[in-house]
Amino acid sequence: MNKKILNLKFTEDQIDALREFMNVSIGAATASLANLLDAFGTMHIPEIEICNSSELAGKIESTIDLKSMYYTTKQLFTGKFGGECMFVISEDSAKNLGRHLYNVTIPSGDEIKDAVMELSNILTSTIVSRLTQELNVQVQFFVPSSQFIDANSIIHDEDVVEYSKIIIISTILDFQDQQIKGNIYILTKDEAIESLKILIDKKIEEIYG
Amino acid sequence: MIEIKYPDVLLDSLENGHMILDDNFIVSYWNRWLAINTQISKDEIIGKKLDTFYPDINYKVLYRKIITALTIGTPTFYDADSNAKFITINRNKVTTSSLKLMQQQVTISPYIAYENKVMISIYDISELFEAKLMIKKEIKKVHKLNNKLEAEKEIIDKNIMLMRTSADGTIIDISTFFSQFFEFDKKDFLGKNVSIFKLADESDAIYKELWKTIRDKKSWSGELKYKTFNGKEKWVQSRVMPILDSDGELFEFSAVYHDITNEKLLAELYITDPLTKLYNRVHFDEIISFIVEHQRKSDIDFALVIVDIDHFKSINDTYGHQVGDEALVSVAKTLKNSLRENDLIARWGGEEFVIMLKNVTLNEAKAIVEKVRANVEKNRITDSISVTASFGLTKYIKGESAKEIFKRVDSALYEAKRGGRNRVVVK
Repeated sequence: MNKKILNLKFTEDQIDALREFMNVSIGAATASLANLLDAFGTMHIPEIEICNSSELAGKIESTIDLKSMYYTTKQLFTGKFGGECMFVISEDSAKNLGRHLYNVTIPSGDEIKDAVMELSNILTSTIVSRLTQELNVQVQFFVPSSQFIDANSIIHDEDVVEYSKIIIISTILDFQDQQIKGNIYILTKDEAIESLKILIDKKIEEIYG
Repeated sequence: MIEIKYPDVLLDSLENGHMILDDNFIVSYWNRWLAINTQISKDEIIGKKLDTFYPDINYKVLYRKIITALTIGTPTFYDADSNAKFITINRNKVTTSSLKLMQQQVTISPYIAYENKVMISIYDISELFEAKLMIKKEIKKVHKLNNKLEAEKEIIDKNIMLMRTSADGTIIDISTFFSQFFEFDKKDFLGKNVSIFKLADESDAIYKELWKTIRDKKSWSGELKYKTFNGKEKWVQSRVMPILDSDGELFEFSAVYHDITNEKLLAELYITDPLTKLYNRVHFDEIISFIVEHQRKSDIDFALVIVDIDHFKSINDTYGHQVGDEALVSVAKTLKNSLRENDLIARWGGEEFVIMLKNVTLNEAKAIVEKVRANVEKNRITDSISVTASFGLTKYIKGESAKEIFKRVDSALYEAKRGGRNRVVVK
């Protein structure tokens, strides 16, 4: 059977629309965090990039400090637009988050991990739910998994072996008062990218007739 | 007719725990799985607060997770790897279990948002968690072993001379110690043929034997004389082993070397005359004693020659000992160069030399020695000095002792001297 050839290039209009949807989603996420975690932060304007799977590790490593240890949470979501949401937070930020959410001076390892997972879950759920709401589709979230690892181990080549093209939507979350900073990456691949393009086109059509 | 409560039947039939809770932690549903595993019945808990039964739960965190689920409309989770259990459930597994309590995956899903109710689902992930722990333990072991292997590999690499070649002798890998010993950069070795170490004047015979042995898929051990990048000669004790592929065919060779240069130099010193660089009397004695003792057919067919430089004392007296030494060196060189490759020559003492001509008849030996004598006569020590020498020659007789043949050859030399010198006398 011939493999379907996918057109994974975005037009400028599609990128603009996606950026706009992401801005709305990130706005919703910031509001959720303020409401639920009692932490007022900012989130940067998202960057949208399409790259080869082999470039993913390099792209992520370029945005973090390679000497630090990181808590990394990965959560899958499926539906017409599916993918993986990854939240990367340094050890120091994660400790500050644990202190804030558990209201303790020295949070335990379990408390830190749970706090990271909670923040990551709110971010993923809000951003992706809001994005998919904009695109008029439903998604299902899977149980997130988290790890405490060094910067070079965040992405292994074998982790992305099935992917050919990846779209990376990334932003930075910054709670200055609590000294918490993290990177969020929404990763989606091949068919999901094509599906996303179709959904964006449909939305553009709806809005502009 | 029996009224069937479908959601109850559905939730009771599931192999995991489900409870419905509001933001005041009042339990409004408790399924069969929970009732069995916690030993708390539906009747006991429904309508009551969860903290009555489970006071150890962090209710501040639980409240936040409930509100999050209700607000964002998607599930929230507890960390499944956490050591803290949401509710404590004992495990009854008797065999091969490292977990005493059930490891739980806890999901809080929005249920009836306007009543602030959520469904808390508890999944038993103990087996999965145990497998994960086991894998972690095994990975730790593998890492430990790898580190040990790496450390040992480093020790070997830095302290042992190793080489790996392809079946045609192309160098694939060498140890750091090897490259340091031969004064090459490792990268300069790779891809080259192993013959780069062979000395130009080294006999091919030993290499032919080596290749024949290893191509026959056998290991070869022996001493090889190699040269370093800077041309220094080195002796190495070598063991070359063939590596076969799964079909039993030659795939690669691996070799281990040990530097024996110093031992070789010491051994050479022990058997060499320091002035003429010929073998010394000790070594010649050892060889002839061995031949006489073992009487091997291939060894006993030889002629013995004693050479004495004529009027050597007057050279020393007239020109001094330095010229005398030069004369000895020059005659030694002429003698050696006049002989065949297999013949053996040693300095016997003072101005005397001893020669063993191998596999010759007495007539053939006489012809050779006559030629040697003529060469000595022709040779000039300096522009104004030349010497002659007298030669005693005899053939070894099977079974006789070394003493007997030396007595005969000495007698022949004596006659040559008495007969006017610069001549060969056969006995």
